[in-house]
Amino acid sequence: MISDATRSAVSELMTRFPEKRGALLPALHLIQSEFGHVAPETAVEVADLFDLQPVQVLEVLRFYNLIHDTPQAQHHVAVCTNLSCSLRGARDLLRQLEAHLGIAAGTATADGRIQLDHEECLGACAYAPMMRVDEHYHEDLDAETAKGILDALE
Amino acid sequence: MWITIDDREIEVHEGRMLLQALDDAGLLGNDVDIPHFCWHPKLAIDGSCRLCQVEVEGESKLQIACDTKVVDGMVVRTDTDRVRNARAGVMELLLVNHPLDCPICDQAGECKLQDFAFDHGSPVSRSREPRRALAKNVAIGPEVVFDQERCILCRRCVRFCDEVTGTSELGIFGRGDASVVDTFPGRPLDNAYSMNVADLCPVGALTTRDFRFKLRVWDLDDVDGICTGCARGCNLHLGVAKGAVQRAVPRRNDAVNDTWICDEGRLSYHAIGAPDRLKEPQLRGTDGRLAPTDLATAVEVAAARIRRLVDAKGAGVFAGIASAHATNEDLFTFWKFLDALGAETRGVPVIRGQADGILIEAEKAANASGARELGFDVTGAIADRVRSGGVDAAIVFGHDILDAQFLGGTDALATLDTLIVLDLHQSELHHVADVVIPTLHAAEKDGTLTNSAGRVQRVRRAHEPAWPAWSEGSVISLLGAALGLAGFDGSWDVAAVSAELARSQPRFAGIDLASVGRGGRNIANAEDVTAPVDGEA
Amino acid sequence: MRNAPFVTNYLSEHLADDAYAKLAGYQRAGGYAAARRAVCELSPDEVIEQIEGSGLKGRGGAGFSAGRKWAFMPRDESPALLVCNADESEPGSFKDRLLLERAPHMILEGILIAAWATRAQKTFVYVRGEYATAAVAVERAVAEASKDGLLGDDIMGSGFHHEVVVVRGAGAYICGEETGLLESLEGKKGQPRKKPPYPSEYGAFGLPTTVNNVETFAHVPHIIANGVPWFRSFGTEDSPGTTLFGVSGQVLRPGLFELPLGTRLDEIVFEYAGGVPDGRKVKGVIPGGVSMPILPAGQLDVRMADEFLRERHTRLGTGGVIVMDDTTCMVRVASVISYFFRDESCGQCTQCREGTGWINKLVDRIERGAGEERDLEILLDIAGKLEGQTICAFSDAAAWPIQGLMRHFRSDFEAHLGAEKCPFPASFEL
Repeated sequence: MISDATRSAVSELMTRFPEKRGALLPALHLIQSEFGHVAPETAVEVADLFDLQPVQVLEVLRFYNLIHDTPQAQHHVAVCTNLSCSLRGARDLLRQLEAHLGIAAGTATADGRIQLDHEECLGACAYAPMMRVDEHYHEDLDAETAKGILDALE
Repeated sequence: MWITIDDREIEVHEGRMLLQALDDAGLLGNDVDIPHFCWHPKLAIDGSCRLCQVEVEGESKLQIACDTKVVDGMVVRTDTDRVRNARAGVMELLLVNHPLDCPICDQAGECKLQDFAFDHGSPVSRSREPRRALAKNVAIGPEVVFDQERCILCRRCVRFCDEVTGTSELGIFGRGDASVVDTFPGRPLDNAYSMNVADLCPVGALTTRDFRFKLRVWDLDDVDGICTGCARGCNLHLGVAKGAVQRAVPRRNDAVNDTWICDEGRLSYHAIGAPDRLKEPQLRGTDGRLAPTDLATAVEVAAARIRRLVDAKGAGVFAGIASAHATNEDLFTFWKFLDALGAETRGVPVIRGQADGILIEAEKAANASGARELGFDVTGAIADRVRSGGVDAAIVFGHDILDAQFLGGTDALATLDTLIVLDLHQSELHHVADVVIPTLHAAEKDGTLTNSAGRVQRVRRAHEPAWPAWSEGSVISLLGAALGLAGFDGSWDVAAVSAELARSQPRFAGIDLASVGRGGRNIANAEDVTAPVDGEA
Repeated sequence: MRNAPFVTNYLSEHLADDAYAKLAGYQRAGGYAAARRAVCELSPDEVIEQIEGSGLKGRGGAGFSAGRKWAFMPRDESPALLVCNADESEPGSFKDRLLLERAPHMILEGILIAAWATRAQKTFVYVRGEYATAAVAVERAVAEASKDGLLGDDIMGSGFHHEVVVVRGAGAYICGEETGLLESLEGKKGQPRKKPPYPSEYGAFGLPTTVNNVETFAHVPHIIANGVPWFRSFGTEDSPGTTLFGVSGQVLRPGLFELPLGTRLDEIVFEYAGGVPDGRKVKGVIPGGVSMPILPAGQLDVRMADEFLRERHTRLGTGGVIVMDDTTCMVRVASVISYFFRDESCGQCTQCREGTGWINKLVDRIERGAGEERDLEILLDIAGKLEGQTICAFSDAAAWPIQGLMRHFRSDFEAHLGAEKCPFPASFEL
């Protein structure tokens, strides 16, 4: 169940837009910060809040990379592998992190601690290679520094 | 205003898009060939399939005809090399991920992808890359089966559920070539019109459980039909093979049902061959049981019983309880019969249900308006008359009179001296009937029906009945002759009856079997004859 | 400061100063004087006139005249919106992120002036979902400005009312396309709209809307403050002003360089960014983000403005310069770029949905050595089918880089045909 606090925050968000549906993405971010993801039963609640059909909420959920309809690992590590980063060794970095964590990119560690992904351009092209850990950018990385950052995650 | 398309000048309405304008003119799909997938005349413009590109004079880029507004003097070409190349390009790209499983696909023969690929595509596929592997044979709803691999993502089904039914069960999940149509978990495609998505689907991605693997469509004869499930009178294509209707799909009539039909109506053809169909005339014997007989005997016995009663007590004891499922011609004949007999007690019980604001109407019969027009009381007062006594004999069409809204059962009828039943299916009515004569389904006979908006529409005999059965009009005609009533000689020609009806009833003036056409004509507005019925659907 | 521009000018001179991100610091540097002048002294039409006269072109990639865009807006008091497109996602581009993080008030000031000019009551700043720090910086700036009477009711005593709402995207490149952004802002999938109607007529929530890029807004206060002739003293006749060139890839000094439009590409690559390291040579340079066709080493003597780049079959785009050295396998470049466009296609239009996937699969097959001569023709042919035939320009953006790579580096593709392994073993890894 979406908490009362989140519900009232969503109501407040709705007032910022000419139509309340405008608050859908902000609301999904908020709800995801409460639950870690937006499960189908939560999507039904969201649909009710926004006078939408559940399928319309799920369409939105599955269109965007940063909101999820399935449970996520505790930390999300995304290594940019677009051109500027690849030119500066991003793929090698990703492989080393895969080896370090013992998982393939696109999967999570068995303990649910870290999800490792390759990511499209994150807008740090001159500071490559880089990775985004949760909401933080780590730039100009070498493999050892990156591993250290992952090791320091709770 | 006028536009020129491939050297043909056509008049168009301002504000229309090119495809709409061509559809308005009845040219699209007939004289002008602009292939398209996502555009549908009854759905919002999507503009995403990009197949309907045409050359518009003065525009450097090709324009999509579905989303290009007509302008006075516009010059459009649909047959240039550029247009052909663009179409071929779209077709090739649509086929890159398509499984090409036409030999086992139900859509084969009426598949737009197949047709357009033949007309506008290239015969060889240049793609050697692996195709998308997606879900097959998904039970997306109780009536519809979904093959994700065949889907070309035209969004017609999604838009239908958003715009027409308002139920929004379907969505497109994901992006790019990972996009798929699907439902929300646990919320299947389940609405009163769900099977329309199979008609809308231009490919074999959505098919109905009802027709799946039943027959190849090229083995079907196409006969125009009218649904008799409610007063809307939705137009149908009846697919006929092996002497039976094998499926019903909506036939476009913008004045009636657009291009839709409710699931109940679509499946109602199963009533034609239902196991409880009456298969022969029956007479109640001295042992109190119904026994088979032939039509002549049934009519003779019925006439004798009516004559005896009317002679003894006068025609006032006779009731005519007709049916709103019968045709105008059947009802007109019955009306004349009752007049000739002098029987004033007459009515038509029309079962009422819930209207849904889309197609489904409250009156659950196809010809309630026709009955009303001819003078029958359709309020159900006839039931009160029977219940209050004073009726000793009755001819009843169908068994609607037993519905809870009317007699609520057979008790009141059980007390009658004589009950003659003309019906399609077995019912409790037969427990109390003295004579039972099987009648024809609307798909087995010719005639006209008047829908709730006053549109007189034609039904046709799609096939011979599988068992002996007769139209109500012809039975009544025989009965009239047997009773020696004026104007009845035992013959019944539906075209002649229809013409007589048109002559004698001012509201039907000029509207008979021969003149209603495929789209029907409205008794309230004789000018209203222009609904395009064979355009885009 | 990390990430500070190597070469600065009016946009970026204070980016290294942490205080500049705060209201006090921004005002100390003269901030909001231009907005005050616009709102208190100039009529909306006068502002539009100045911006149109300045020749400021949108810096989001399409390069459309900002002033003309504003002039499309209705000239009455009916509800109208302004949108700041901060959904920077073009690979190779990172200037907007730094402007948002380091100079949020400059963007707000530009927004305020544009709002006044277009008579908009509200601005939505749509910040790319991944740009968390930037979103926080802008939110903080909005709060500061609102508290100080620079936003809200009766701004600077002018009677003008304006609100700014920061919205975070959720991870979809296509939301950088202005109508995709509008859809996303409305809480929908970010699938671009058919045009017409254009946003100035039917924008977000059906209201007339102007959409401008972050950097475009950043130029506005400087134009109002210093005048048209001053602005036109930078850049070229057709492309006035500076821009923030972001240089990345295999160069000695990757980073931001604020330079006049029309600066030569070879100057940017070799002089400003120091050329490629380790004694290697340049093989190719993408001048404006991965959507723009590549230029080979021999064609870098071109001025960085659309009127010149167009002659070389490419465009300025977002000014994101990506440099590749002579080890680079251009088929791998095609693979990276085509994967990106396949992943990010919104999936609406047939050509884009199916074509981006086909191109990516085909390029990867060539890279694996399983390609044939005819595949190269097919590749070009599909790219041609993506061009100019869809709802938005995304499919052009997917086609152009492939066409550019095939135009200048066809031999790289040919070298892969029938090869057991990639003939460029020293190239960056895939």
